[in-house]
Amino acid sequence: MNVTYLFVLIWLAFLICSGVLLFSRGFLLARVSKTETSTCRRLSTNPNDEYVLTPEVVNEIFKDVNASSNLCLPQKSKVIILVVDALKYEFGLYKSNITEPLPYENKLSVLQQLLERSPDQSRLMRFKADPPTTTLQRLKGLTTGSLPTFIDIGSNFASPEINEDNVIDQIVKSDLPLVFLGDSTWTDLYPRRFKRAYSYPSFDIFDLDSVDNQIMKHLPKELVSDDWQVLIAHFLGVDHCGHKHGPLHEEMARKLTEINEIIASVVNGMDNDTTLLVMGDHGMTASGDHGGDTDDETNALLFAYSKQNKFFGSDSGSDSETLQQIDLVPTLAAILGVPIPYSNLGLINFNIVPDVAVPHLSKFQTLLLHAWQNAQQIYRYFFKYAMENKRTFDVQEMDKLETEFILLTHRVQTIYNGVAYKSFVRDLNTNLRDVLSTCREIWVKFEPTQMSQGLLFCFLPIFFAFLLINNSRPADYPKMFQPKGISYTYLLNLAAGVFGYRYYKNFSFKTEEHGVIFFTAITSTVILSFYTLKHWTNIASNWANIRRFGHMPTRLLLFSIMAVFFSNSFVIQEAKILSYLLVAVILLLSYELLLLSARFDFRNKFKASQFLRSTALRLILASILAICFIRFAYTLFRCREEQGNCTDFATSNTPGFSIKKPGTGKTYILAVVIIVVYTTLTRLYLRSCGNLTGSSPNVLLARYGPTVASICAGGHVLLANSSIKNIQRTHIDAMALVIYGLLLLQIIVLSWAPLMTFVLPPRNPNILTVNGHDSIVPEIFKKMKRMYEGDDDAERRSEIPIVYGLATVYSSITITFGIFLAMMMIVLLEPRAAIGLVICVAVGAILLSVQGILRYRTATSFESCVQPTFTALVGWFLLAHFCFFATSHQTTLSQIDWRAAFVGRTSGIGQSNIISGALVILNTFCGPIFFFSMYALLSTETFSLFALFPSLIRSCSNSGRSGSKTDPAAAMSDIANEAVGFDMTRGELTLYEYEDVFLGAGFKLATQFFMLQGLKIFCAMLACTIHCRHLMVWKIFAPRFIYEALATFVSLPALMVGYVLLLRINRAVDTLIKRINKPKTQ
Amino acid sequence: MVSRFDQQKTKHQLFHVSLSLATILICMTYMQYRRNWAYLGNFWDSLVVPIVFIGELLKVVLARFYGRIEDGVLTVKQRQKKAAYFTARELAGGFTLQFLCTLLYAFSCIIFGAPVLGNYEETFVLSLLMTLLTVSPTVFLLGGGGALQVCFCEKPDFVTKCEDTALNLFKYNALGGILGAWAGSVVAPLDWGRDWQVYPIPNIIGALLGSAMGNIYACTHVLYATARVYMTKKRA
Repeated sequence: MNVTYLFVLIWLAFLICSGVLLFSRGFLLARVSKTETSTCRRLSTNPNDEYVLTPEVVNEIFKDVNASSNLCLPQKSKVIILVVDALKYEFGLYKSNITEPLPYENKLSVLQQLLERSPDQSRLMRFKADPPTTTLQRLKGLTTGSLPTFIDIGSNFASPEINEDNVIDQIVKSDLPLVFLGDSTWTDLYPRRFKRAYSYPSFDIFDLDSVDNQIMKHLPKELVSDDWQVLIAHFLGVDHCGHKHGPLHEEMARKLTEINEIIASVVNGMDNDTTLLVMGDHGMTASGDHGGDTDDETNALLFAYSKQNKFFGSDSGSDSETLQQIDLVPTLAAILGVPIPYSNLGLINFNIVPDVAVPHLSKFQTLLLHAWQNAQQIYRYFFKYAMENKRTFDVQEMDKLETEFILLTHRVQTIYNGVAYKSFVRDLNTNLRDVLSTCREIWVKFEPTQMSQGLLFCFLPIFFAFLLINNSRPADYPKMFQPKGISYTYLLNLAAGVFGYRYYKNFSFKTEEHGVIFFTAITSTVILSFYTLKHWTNIASNWANIRRFGHMPTRLLLFSIMAVFFSNSFVIQEAKILSYLLVAVILLLSYELLLLSARFDFRNKFKASQFLRSTALRLILASILAICFIRFAYTLFRCREEQGNCTDFATSNTPGFSIKKPGTGKTYILAVVIIVVYTTLTRLYLRSCGNLTGSSPNVLLARYGPTVASICAGGHVLLANSSIKNIQRTHIDAMALVIYGLLLLQIIVLSWAPLMTFVLPPRNPNILTVNGHDSIVPEIFKKMKRMYEGDDDAERRSEIPIVYGLATVYSSITITFGIFLAMMMIVLLEPRAAIGLVICVAVGAILLSVQGILRYRTATSFESCVQPTFTALVGWFLLAHFCFFATSHQTTLSQIDWRAAFVGRTSGIGQSNIISGALVILNTFCGPIFFFSMYALLSTETFSLFALFPSLIRSCSNSGRSGSKTDPAAAMSDIANEAVGFDMTRGELTLYEYEDVFLGAGFKLATQFFMLQGLKIFCAMLACTIHCRHLMVWKIFAPRFIYEALATFVSLPALMVGYVLLLRINRAVDTLIKRINKPKTQ
Repeated sequence: MVSRFDQQKTKHQLFHVSLSLATILICMTYMQYRRNWAYLGNFWDSLVVPIVFIGELLKVVLARFYGRIEDGVLTVKQRQKKAAYFTARELAGGFTLQFLCTLLYAFSCIIFGAPVLGNYEETFVLSLLMTLLTVSPTVFLLGGGGALQVCFCEKPDFVTKCEDTALNLFKYNALGGILGAWAGSVVAPLDWGRDWQVYPIPNIIGALLGSAMGNIYACTHVLYATARVYMTKKRA
């Protein structure tokens, strides 16, 4: 019957996750990046080379132009590219008739002079960027010629290096030396490509000058040297000035004047066969920021100048007003005579290609060859992409484009003069622009419908779960969720899903997925609201009982957790903020405890000696210990780039690679010691609970398994990181494999015979048992005396079965499972991070004991006793997320610990990617997984604590009634009974007696965690929506969202695992009790 | 319980609250006058701690002043307590308690994320201020032992009515101060690059503002109670 709750949990988890998935589909636009590269045969003018341009070759080419795609025409000139970050189009326009120019107007006068002096050798164009207009994405676009999206699936997460085909790589491959000066983003994207690189970090946004000054220092001497073919300089000052002061500040005038001087000096210094390109990578808004897709941000400036060669004129068929940024790539390729990168979507714009005559080719033939090679390349890429990613594009549109292209392939054979070329190239360009716009539609825009629906569908189930489950009592759940009702819910959802899958087109959804999610979410919302309405009276009356301003500090804490997502500075410092809040939670708990126990213990006079002996003091000392642990975890945090002085990102000789410092020997030793201490302590705890007695399979496993696991984990830590060379990898792997095996074994044992109890065989009263060293006479005497007195009571008492470990029957199994899980994670984590995990476990244990005692003292009934306090709930939730940071993780995409995928697998066992992914996920989200699958301890630990230390009950209740002297031994259960209405000394067996309420409470607890996690991911999504035009959206908010989404996908199932564990144990206890009771009733 | 403006208790409460607010106002004015924030974490350079100290002392004097009319109706215990106020034992006890409290606050600052090595002076100033806002008034009023009892036990019987009024108000002051100092850290991670974002400054200002808020809250309580009495009387 109680499996019903599980299905409700699965349903809620599905709803929340589908909302998140829908949002991410709208927000994170995915493009699969291809690693293929283009190649070509360079036709040389030098007669000694392999492929020489001769009249015969030209004839050959024009026999079949379609076969010419793998030929490159010779290089036309050298190129100097000056990228001025955020150089808006308006900055370069010269308005001659204004008397008082704004700070950004008329500052680039050299452009105007050149345009006037030699109009055929200079061009000023609008340089249209594709959003997102952030520098990194723009540079990707400017070099690959494709539309960049946030996640290029298949690209390398670990470093920002671009592995898609791009113009820089093509230039390097063609042996044209490159020199680079300026923003280090380039060297991050293209490490080791440049012959010489003078790169400077772009991190400090308020520093207007240092990068530019460095460039100016090196630029003149580079201009003079003639060992490069391409020179790139990237100036940051204008962009930083925009961010700091905005475009209307005097500083902007100064920076632009500086740029003007630089351009002038470069124009003077460059030789005759060089083309100069001055460009901005994006514009800026009126406030000086960028990132979005307004005209202000996308309109950058492009200025081209060549000293001697004229540019191709307007008869080339290219647009002379505007240049798409992606068009730069094929244009550069044409100028330099290198192959056009494989995934380019831009068109060659001949307005900025110098008209250098190619021998044996007429002008229109040159243009035709270039244009046609470009077209062939685009179609090759487009069809290949569409083929491999089906359903990305609309089939009809694909057909139309393909037909047009085939027509063009026939037409290209028949062009013999300039006029025919002009009309042909016009049609060709239209066609290729169609291809581009088809791609752009898919890759560039956010999809507001999907985002808003994702937000809504994530919020609704949380809201209704709050109304329905959080505001009802656990005892009401069996009435509320009947198996029949839930199965109908599933059927309805299935029907809605099928409907959505079948008819998604009729509702103009793009994918089946969207249709399915939309209709199931709508159906589920209707069902949930139906449930809510049905039980509204109940809910309302329960709601009325809640204090209006109760738990105010905790609510404040919760609010702060959620507020973290909305500011980039908070996201950057999240690790410290979480530990700050966690410390506050623990202090709050211990303050409440101190208040309560002070009330109880010292009614009239404060006595130091009594205080020193009290449990409260011990607990407070324990909390202080926990807080010290948390403070120690500061040293385990991984820093991120934005924090500054982060050694992970200290760029040394190889820019773009973060060098991981190997830990010192001390760390390894400490890790091993901590692992051993952890296993020993848990073992001691379990033994003192009596859970390690007997020989049931789980007991045996719990007795020997952790020891073996900790030895293996310790060995793995030491050997895997040792500098000794002659250890075979298989030996190290074997240790990890043993731990994996133990976890598997534990899972099997759990599903087969989970109980860790030992039923003492009943003594037969008629048989005398005599120990070896006791003498036999007293035993006989006692027996006779008993028979003489006819003590029925004693006889009966001996029939009561003795069971070891029944008082901790629930928690012991959960804890044992936890050890094996933790051991698995320890092997996966780095030694440093393993310390963090164990620290978090220790903090969790202290939190549990403090909350247990607090709960008992504030409880009024069994029902309230089994539900943890709200503060403890938030504390546990915080701890799970704090553990993520304590285990040396950070929410940036470059800091994922990929090493975990190879633990125990170097020898080639299980090469599947799924296992690798699972291991990395288990490593990254070890905190949420561990703590959420152990969540049941929050409600069971109160009981086991009081069963273990019965004196606690007395200490907190005799203070309630001072003076009434009771018989210590007999009255213990009475005292407990009086205090909370049930017998606390029986430990977790009480839980079984109130089975319904207990399982309901477990379910409620799980949904409460669902709500907290749901709220968190909702806030993350909301922050992304609000900040989708923010400067840092792709660097900070989007990665944070991705991490949170993954954490949600992982932690909701982890909570369900915790609940399944609870159900399984409950069933086993059920059979055990029935088995014990059976002989008695007979 | 009736409370009217002309009642001794209400007068005491209102004077008390206005004294606290005035103290904080003076602190703020002083900060405004200095214009530079960086000195706030400096022990010898900043006048905030002495100002708050004087303010708290004045509050205790106020309580004594209003307590003088109760002198006639004191119980034996209360009389004994009063007589023992200036003995060496009480003074030493009070001083030790405050010192321990300062240490505790300093420790809290460190576990909340202040640097373990370095910034000692700033941490000391902050914890001194916190002690002054929370524990000191009670210690000044009741002595060390009395303060401990008030904190940990139910209300001891040697506390006079007037002292009780003051203690209630001290509670708001202390709670506000602690919450304010805790919440002050909210600006620390922000990347605004202002000079007042450096470690002890937001917390000090937060503590002062927090205690001001606590006092305002107490003030509204008192005023609300009086107003209600006034209204009912008028209606009757």
